[in-house]
Amino acid sequence: MNEILKTAKNCRHYAMCKIDFLGTGLCESGAEKHYVSFYPQGRMDLYAALAEERIPVTEKCLEIADSCDLCGKCDYQCYFVTEMKPSLVMKALKEHIRIHLNNGGEVVMPEKDSILDELKGIVGDYWVTNDHAVALTYSHDPSPLTVPKMPAYVIMPDSTTEVSSVIKLLNRYKIPYAVRGNGSSVIGFVMSEGCVIDLGRMKTIKFDEKNWLVKVGPGVSAFDLQKAAVMRGYRVNVAEPSALVCANIMCSGIFSLFSASYGTAADNYIDAEFVGHDGEVFRLSDKSAPNLFAFKKEDSAIPGICTSAYIRLHPVTSDEGAAFVPFDSLNRALNFARECAMRRMGLAIGVLGGEYISAFLSPTKNMAAEVKEIFRDKLKIEYLVMVIGDKYTLRSIKEMGYNYFDNRLMRILNLGLPSLTSAKWLDLLEELAEEEPFSYLGLKHFADLAEAALAPSPAQLVNNVDPELRPFFEKLYSRPEMTDPVWLSMFRIISSRMGRDKHGVAMIIYLPIDSKLVIEINSEFKRIADAHGLKNAFGFITPLDDGKRCVFEYDYYFDQNDPDEKKKIQQAAMEAGMMIEKYSAETGTVTWIRYVFCQGFSRKESFLYKIDGADK
Amino acid sequence: MTGGRIGDNEIYLLTGATGFLGSHIMAGLLIKGKGVVIIGRSSGGESLKDRIRKLLHWFGIEQLEELIEFYEADFQKIRMGLGDDEYERLCSRNLTIIHCASDTSFAEKNRERVMKSNVESLTGILNLATKSKATFFHFISSAYAAGIDTIECPEAPVNSLHFTNVYEESKARAEYIVSGRCKKDNLPFTIIRPSIVYGDSITGRSLKFNALYYPVRSMQQIRDIYLNDIINNNGIKSAISGIYINNEGALYLPVRIFIPNKGSINLIPVNYFTETVLSILEKPITETFYHITNNSSVNMATLAAYTERFLNITGVEIVIGTPIDDEMRNSPEELLDHFIRPYLPYISDRRVFLRENTNMVTGGALPPDLSYEIFQRCMSFAVSADWGRNLF
Repeated sequence: MNEILKTAKNCRHYAMCKIDFLGTGLCESGAEKHYVSFYPQGRMDLYAALAEERIPVTEKCLEIADSCDLCGKCDYQCYFVTEMKPSLVMKALKEHIRIHLNNGGEVVMPEKDSILDELKGIVGDYWVTNDHAVALTYSHDPSPLTVPKMPAYVIMPDSTTEVSSVIKLLNRYKIPYAVRGNGSSVIGFVMSEGCVIDLGRMKTIKFDEKNWLVKVGPGVSAFDLQKAAVMRGYRVNVAEPSALVCANIMCSGIFSLFSASYGTAADNYIDAEFVGHDGEVFRLSDKSAPNLFAFKKEDSAIPGICTSAYIRLHPVTSDEGAAFVPFDSLNRALNFARECAMRRMGLAIGVLGGEYISAFLSPTKNMAAEVKEIFRDKLKIEYLVMVIGDKYTLRSIKEMGYNYFDNRLMRILNLGLPSLTSAKWLDLLEELAEEEPFSYLGLKHFADLAEAALAPSPAQLVNNVDPELRPFFEKLYSRPEMTDPVWLSMFRIISSRMGRDKHGVAMIIYLPIDSKLVIEINSEFKRIADAHGLKNAFGFITPLDDGKRCVFEYDYYFDQNDPDEKKKIQQAAMEAGMMIEKYSAETGTVTWIRYVFCQGFSRKESFLYKIDGADK
Repeated sequence: MTGGRIGDNEIYLLTGATGFLGSHIMAGLLIKGKGVVIIGRSSGGESLKDRIRKLLHWFGIEQLEELIEFYEADFQKIRMGLGDDEYERLCSRNLTIIHCASDTSFAEKNRERVMKSNVESLTGILNLATKSKATFFHFISSAYAAGIDTIECPEAPVNSLHFTNVYEESKARAEYIVSGRCKKDNLPFTIIRPSIVYGDSITGRSLKFNALYYPVRSMQQIRDIYLNDIINNNGIKSAISGIYINNEGALYLPVRIFIPNKGSINLIPVNYFTETVLSILEKPITETFYHITNNSSVNMATLAAYTERFLNITGVEIVIGTPIDDEMRNSPEELLDHFIRPYLPYISDRRVFLRENTNMVTGGALPPDLSYEIFQRCMSFAVSADWGRNLF
């Protein structure tokens, strides 16, 4: 496989090219034409399919290829997340089409279709298609469990009324459908052989500050909503930056490190509007609405299409900062995280593993591997508990006797990473760690010394970045927010590089913060993945409901283009699932996220706690 | 009661042979042609035998391995984790036991571990001594087991209730247990108390680089941070802390080292330690305490001057007392203080160790004073060994 095709086939479908998280502006054709096919992600899939002759050159192929202006923004975005440069694929796509046309190749026109015509009557000619070039980009994702399905239609309604009419029409013709946000869940939920309803055009964001809420359309991404909220001095609790807010609530309920204080699932919204399976519109606040607050432990289907949600706004204070408290064991880290949650300290709390933190801090995967080793071997840091809070919270952590990396020190550490990998003085800290672990963080002038020793600078940090992209990244890291843990956490950029090396499958469970139980399950996750030779790592743990419960993510990684690894991950995921079910049955307090899927509007209490007779 | 000389069929049983002091005792015994039973454990995936072989190579005495018997053991297990037959076989030997194994952590957080290792695990080795009717039991303790309740420390049982750290306390408790048990079981014993041991005063070689070495190494690392800042980053950070390269090419590093007392540091070179221990083993007197210490301790001002000269720096100042305000300290000073804090009681120590018993054994031979030449030799070796990272 040549490098270009390899890049194309390695698109993770994280949809980070669909949000302007680096301030470069969006891919212009994508922003205008909305179909994923017109974003770099879609073009990557399209090129791979054309190169492998899985689809013919269609009318839309020409438009998709032609609409790319080779601006290169996708290189910045994709390199940040996966270290790939999609513009090579974009060029190759254009070239493929050019050669095809020059050689007199056929251009397949869309088939005549009466249902398509009716759908066009609802949404307009441009916003529904049966062209294979578009359909292909909605037909699969990298999940090992996804069965690719080529949709007959892809439709992009623009209003609740249009959604309602579309559903009624599809019902009339008994056409199955799947509803899609950005598809960034990558677990195969958004495929259908019938119709894929892409809600990406419905981007309403309407603030109601008097009621501390914001009405959000189903096409609004977590990043865009947070950006709008921050501009008005608020914060919302959102998931991964490219995830669409409504879809995310529907899928799993929104959880983030901020869930320690903002909660999850029904805690995040006040009301929501749906188009039911019958095409009728209802609001959750309607007395006669289906009870989506309830939860049943079973694999569920979506209760309807969420066409808007009224999301809670949270206040922000000007003195917020982050504390990264280092620990040499999961047990100690968990105890600290639980204590913070029990004492209601901190807005966001997360026990983070070495993989998580090193992946984020490092602009390249090679550096991430080195940094992970340094954290573990020299600094003796196995886990970091990140707490975001106001100055009183941060002060309290010190009073509790914990030293930590604060905002300034994290910035120094981040921008000085390359020096860290060769710093001999770390040997002294390593020896000191045996006697007084992390005590150096308590020194008043340690940050000054670290600054002298690491000579932090954006230029230094990006020294190993692809030379073509280096000037951009140097500028990027000069921006304060790119090293501000509060900003990075609330916009969820901090976890965006988790799948850089390989695509990740997140094993997520809810359980009590019982160290023994968590450590046992953590070991089991590891044992299972190790047995299959899969890369795996502790993801994060965030306390919920005052530390009575937590959400725990453990990640398995695999090469999405390696059939052997795909088989291994399927087997490992199955075994991990059985393991979770075993603990669930034994303890009665462990809930697999599998059962929360499509029930994300439920009250968190409904799935965090098991009340006799409630699950009927 | 006086112990007899070790007979031809007798053999030394040594614990802690993979440690700094133990390895030198081992090498000393082997060079004298003595048979040594080594009891110890594997570590980091390396067997006891492999660990010892590395040390024999370091000493240049690989050919003497044939004088060694190896027993992988765990002092905290019943019969030290040895099989019944193995244990019985060992007990049937004519053993002189030298118990040198020790956990040298000073940290209070490691109290449980240190006490387990230095005190609780004595039971196993003392049981072996009793069962085997050992010819002698030599316990390698520390001069600092004397505690801090007295300035003048005699070669006598500990008469102190207060200690600088858990290590000293564990050694004092261990001495008490060893004395009591040996007396009860009629086992001849000695307590050997070295002060702070550094490398070989003649060759400069060493296997361990803590104590004397640690402040010098800390200073070297701090120096290198600022030299790098000056050379590669225009010295902006250095300037803030008042650090620069002076006209003589030395780094001016204004660092005050605060020490609680105008005391000194009691240092002996490892070659002197080994010779003295071997002399004690030759003619041990039971129930005797031996201070392997130095009558002329070196003070911090001298060590600071040596360090400045060795590292080509200036600006180091020794201040008696404690800093009033942390804010007034610069970052290198604060970091150095943090690095050497565990050693502070030892670098400003006022205790005097009497050593009449040791003088009798050594015929009055005293350890050499720490001259700059010895200091330089030892530190040069340390640097060449990258402070222990390039030892083997």
